[in-house]
Amino acid sequence: MQQRLKILLLVLMPLVVLFFSLSLGSTGYIGILDLTHYTWMAVQRFWSEMLGESYTDTETILWQVRLPRILLTFMVGAALAVSGGVLQAIFRNPIVDPFSLGISSGAAFGAALSMLIPLIPINLSAFLFGVLAVGITYLVSYSGVRTSLITMVLSGMIITGVFTAFLTILQYLSDPYKLQAIVQWTMGNLHTASWDKVQTAFLPIGGGLAAIAALRWKLNLLALGDQEALAVGVNPRNIKFIIVGLATMITASAVASVGMISLFGLIVPHISRIVFGPNNQIGVFANMSIGGTFLLLIDDFSRAVMPFEIPVGVFTMILGAPLFIYLMRKNAVNWNA
Amino acid sequence: MKELIQIHNLSFSFGKQQVLAELTANFYASELTVILGRNGSGKSTLFNILSGMERLYKGEVLFGSQDRKHIKSGKNSGFRIGFMTQFHQTTFPFTVFDVVLTGRAAFSRFAPSQVDLDLVAENLRAFRLWHLKDKPYTALSGGERQLVLLCRILVQQPDVLLLDEPTNHLDLHYQVAVMEHLKRLVETGTTVVSVMHDPNLALLYGDRFYVMQDKKLHELEEKDPAVLLSTLENTYNVALTDVQHAGRTFIIPKRKPL
Repeated sequence: MQQRLKILLLVLMPLVVLFFSLSLGSTGYIGILDLTHYTWMAVQRFWSEMLGESYTDTETILWQVRLPRILLTFMVGAALAVSGGVLQAIFRNPIVDPFSLGISSGAAFGAALSMLIPLIPINLSAFLFGVLAVGITYLVSYSGVRTSLITMVLSGMIITGVFTAFLTILQYLSDPYKLQAIVQWTMGNLHTASWDKVQTAFLPIGGGLAAIAALRWKLNLLALGDQEALAVGVNPRNIKFIIVGLATMITASAVASVGMISLFGLIVPHISRIVFGPNNQIGVFANMSIGGTFLLLIDDFSRAVMPFEIPVGVFTMILGAPLFIYLMRKNAVNWNA
Repeated sequence: MKELIQIHNLSFSFGKQQVLAELTANFYASELTVILGRNGSGKSTLFNILSGMERLYKGEVLFGSQDRKHIKSGKNSGFRIGFMTQFHQTTFPFTVFDVVLTGRAAFSRFAPSQVDLDLVAENLRAFRLWHLKDKPYTALSGGERQLVLLCRILVQQPDVLLLDEPTNHLDLHYQVAVMEHLKRLVETGTTVVSVMHDPNLALLYGDRFYVMQDKKLHELEEKDPAVLLSTLENTYNVALTDVQHAGRTFIIPKRKPL
């Protein structure tokens, strides 16, 4: 009964927040009634195929500025949260996230590199360097017999450091205008969102999330350990490989489209575990819904409160940390690993 | 009786330290085979080789006519091999039901099917664990966890069941419950090979007995109590005395005079 209510909230919460997020922005507040009116007009337009007709200013703001930003924010939030949850399950380690395994900084370096030397698309470059980073992390921590969780986090930190250093070299080498772009972008920004960006990010993030959702039950098995998977007749190697690849893909696309948002992928999976328990069958969806909604709320907050753009990564930490500490203390999360 | 598992000249070393030396033994289909022996005698190493976790061995291990190294895991392999190790810890507080359900992971690719859910319920009820189904696995006692893990292995309905000290951590009630359940599985055709520490429990339920000593397996002939006694005295390096009851031999250690 209570579980049903929670699941209902899981579905409704993002829809409601998505809708109301449209009313907020730097050009001013659009009332609920007006918003409903404009939405209804857009639907009518769509039905009567009169899309060629010119938009009013408000409509342009709503559908060309706010809506793509909202959609991109939601996708990025969902991607980072799901990626974090998946990595925590697979590596049986609640202190792992896309950041601590080196994926984020690898992807950031890849994206910055392609901003500086545009040989391959930013998305692809981010993905390749994200894969490279997590691959090196895994190889360094692989000791032959089994991979120690502590060694993995340690080597992840080292690899993160190395790619951050490379990123600094890139920044040092680039001219002031590109430097500004890279720095702003590494802080995590959403104000550059456009339908183009939404389109570029939709396929890798949407596809990756769908594939992870399809494999979600297997995450429970992997979270028990390699030996326990073998004990019931499943060779964990291939499926681990696929899932880590998918998590890297969605993280890299998120990083490529809005920059680095640190610790988001660590915090949200903990929140959804506290609310829904550790079962990944529901956890994957919980991470999508909570991750997307949470990042959207943070972005709404920064748009509503500040007259100018504050990088979203700043508020993620300032708002996320107290919430996380509160939930952690309240539930007395005690990891004895 | 059909030989199901054939081990021929099996040797294994950890670095320079040899653990198993030219070990040869046969385990038979639809029998409960018990392996006894001292701590550190190589029982767990043999167990790891049989379960497929350790592959760097010399010699031959056959399941039926297939080499152990060539048996793939999964529901379509020639042998469905389930095994339970001694130590297990988990990071996340999954519910008991979810832990047992992962035992069916080889059968349903995406979401678990109704058959999977039914088998989990059936096995949890058989061990009277149903009331624990929504409890976090991490909050259980050692014995309860052991039983939950056993259920998890059993829901895949294995042809061969390999167990490393299945009655470890269990109270007498559950020790008997587990052994009775294994006995029923053997009667329905499952082959069980189990490492055990309690010789009397082993003698009460086992069909065939081996002791691990000097890096080899030696078969125990139960029929002659005197031979049994001297072999076990030798193996465990303690003075023993035998008790005959209802046509069976039981052994107890002799207490040293103060």
